[in-house]
Amino acid sequence: MAEAPRPRAFALALAVGLVLADSSIVVLALPDIYRELDTSVAGVTWVLVSFNLVMALAAVPAALLARRAGPGRVAAVGLAVFAGAGLACGVADELSTLVLARCVQALGGAAAVTAALELLPATVGSERRAVAVWASAGATGAALGPALGGLLTELVSWQSVFLIQVPVALAAAAPILTVAKHEAATGVLQTELRRTGRPHLWANLALAMVSAAIAAALFLLVLLLIEGWRLTPIGAAIVVTVMPLAAVLGSRIGPLVPSTKARAAAGAILVSGGLAGLAFLPKAEVALTLPPQVLIGIGLSLVLSALTETALSGRAPQAIHGGWTISARHAGVVIGLLALTPIFTADIAEQRQDAIDAGTAVVLDSRVSPLVKIDLAQRIDERLAGEKGKVPTIAPAFEPLPSDPGEREEIVGLREELQDQLDRGATHAFSPSFLLGALLALLALLPIGLSRRVEL
Amino acid sequence: MSPALRAQVLVGAAIVSALALVGVYLAAGGSSYAPAKTQDPCQHRAWSNPRGLGEIANQFSNSALDGAACQLGVSRETLARALATPEARERFSERYGVDDEKLARAVRAGLLRAIDDAEDAGALSPFIAGPLRGTIEEIPLDQAIELINNADSILGNVEGLLGPAGSLLEELLP
Repeated sequence: MAEAPRPRAFALALAVGLVLADSSIVVLALPDIYRELDTSVAGVTWVLVSFNLVMALAAVPAALLARRAGPGRVAAVGLAVFAGAGLACGVADELSTLVLARCVQALGGAAAVTAALELLPATVGSERRAVAVWASAGATGAALGPALGGLLTELVSWQSVFLIQVPVALAAAAPILTVAKHEAATGVLQTELRRTGRPHLWANLALAMVSAAIAAALFLLVLLLIEGWRLTPIGAAIVVTVMPLAAVLGSRIGPLVPSTKARAAAGAILVSGGLAGLAFLPKAEVALTLPPQVLIGIGLSLVLSALTETALSGRAPQAIHGGWTISARHAGVVIGLLALTPIFTADIAEQRQDAIDAGTAVVLDSRVSPLVKIDLAQRIDERLAGEKGKVPTIAPAFEPLPSDPGEREEIVGLREELQDQLDRGATHAFSPSFLLGALLALLALLPIGLSRRVEL
Repeated sequence: MSPALRAQVLVGAAIVSALALVGVYLAAGGSSYAPAKTQDPCQHRAWSNPRGLGEIANQFSNSALDGAACQLGVSRETLARALATPEARERFSERYGVDDEKLARAVRAGLLRAIDDAEDAGALSPFIAGPLRGTIEEIPLDQAIELINNADSILGNVEGLLGPAGSLLEELLP
């Protein structure tokens, strides 16, 4: 088993990162899936929700299975199932097939992630290091997911988001196969069930709350960039790359502070502050999302790893308690998605209407002649009808610009004012959801404060 | 630095960073970055020193839209977009349950309010306002909409609307 620890450690970290990235990797692909599979917005949301829900439900049973059948076997089989289901997702031509394949993918993922935690101590040399590697890989994967998904969707297709996971999962499974071969089923389930202590309630509760807030940060920011500010998926992917980069910085800061409680508290405060920053954006400019993203990235790295360490510290078996943390995190994501999506959807519809009204008021109150106004109103109405509920790009409604320099200047001014109102509406629509996310992260300080002081 | 101090510094730095970010964004107008509020169409819009036919026509259109929108219980802006094309009007009718008769009544009420506003602002002579009111009460919906959308026609071509007497009245426009 100790023949090749470095490749195996890398493979295990890769497996954890891959599976946990999968909970968010499809975010940027959802608009394309929505169009190609001709489904509803509520339907396409289940591509995301189903995976996280099954992960939340299956993580602890998967950990028990890993203890019973052997973590090497379970991790290898889990990764194979994950890869196979990823292939099915990539070739799915109906939403129901895709959602079913996502559920199977989550089952395989839950097995791989929890079994990986059982394998890591022997691979990296200590339980403490194993937990740190496992938690960091998970945090990095979760942060990288949207950016990777956006790049793949834009450069190749939404199917590639799933298909690319097949060789990666199989590559991660290869070094683990040697462990699986040496394992024999030990039938320790009954023993382990008796020995397993209660999960760390406060740490897991805080994990769920922070994960719901982070889900808000990742998913809503991506939606704001693409649906609100009309960035391309690749443009949005590049912008949200700041978060995983900041998470890397956070993972460097973490080891400097031994107190898990301080790291968890600082992380939750940073996530909350970053989300509040996104809620109070003073202008629709991409650059203004960067400072909040830096705070969220550093914060999520600190808080997720600290809370995971707290939940696992002094508890055995690790895989089962790791399973509880996976359950808590994904339950948090599901709650975050299900709670925030309706609020956000209602807000964007209302704000869109307010913005269109404000923009129309700008045109009506301008000094251009009523005939020009009517012509503009007609073209704006066509743009709005064509966008079917999205925030429209309004510039084409003003083309061609008049040849008279005075009129041209007036029309360009109107175009800018109208677009400004639409940008205001789109940005403002996200504010309540971001604020709610900020509040959730801040409330996580309560269970963090109540959690048993553990200094690793 | 002791571990306890490091912990305090980390938490302190997190609090300061979060508060600084939110403070700077709020100071830069983050709490008010929202679409401008539109005016209630039932409240009268002040006519701002109208000079020339173009400006009078603009303000006349706005007053008429306000009056019609107030009667229908929608915003001036929604009604303006609805009256832009027959297709937009059809969508508006379906969405708000407004048939042609109801729309015609509202548009005529809007035009009458615009005449009142123009008269109050001194932009329309009472000699014209009176006969115009009579004419507007009789005109069909499409023509009433045309008058809102192209108020120049009502103010710049009074003769066409009122017949031969209009040419005399036209001279009384300020």
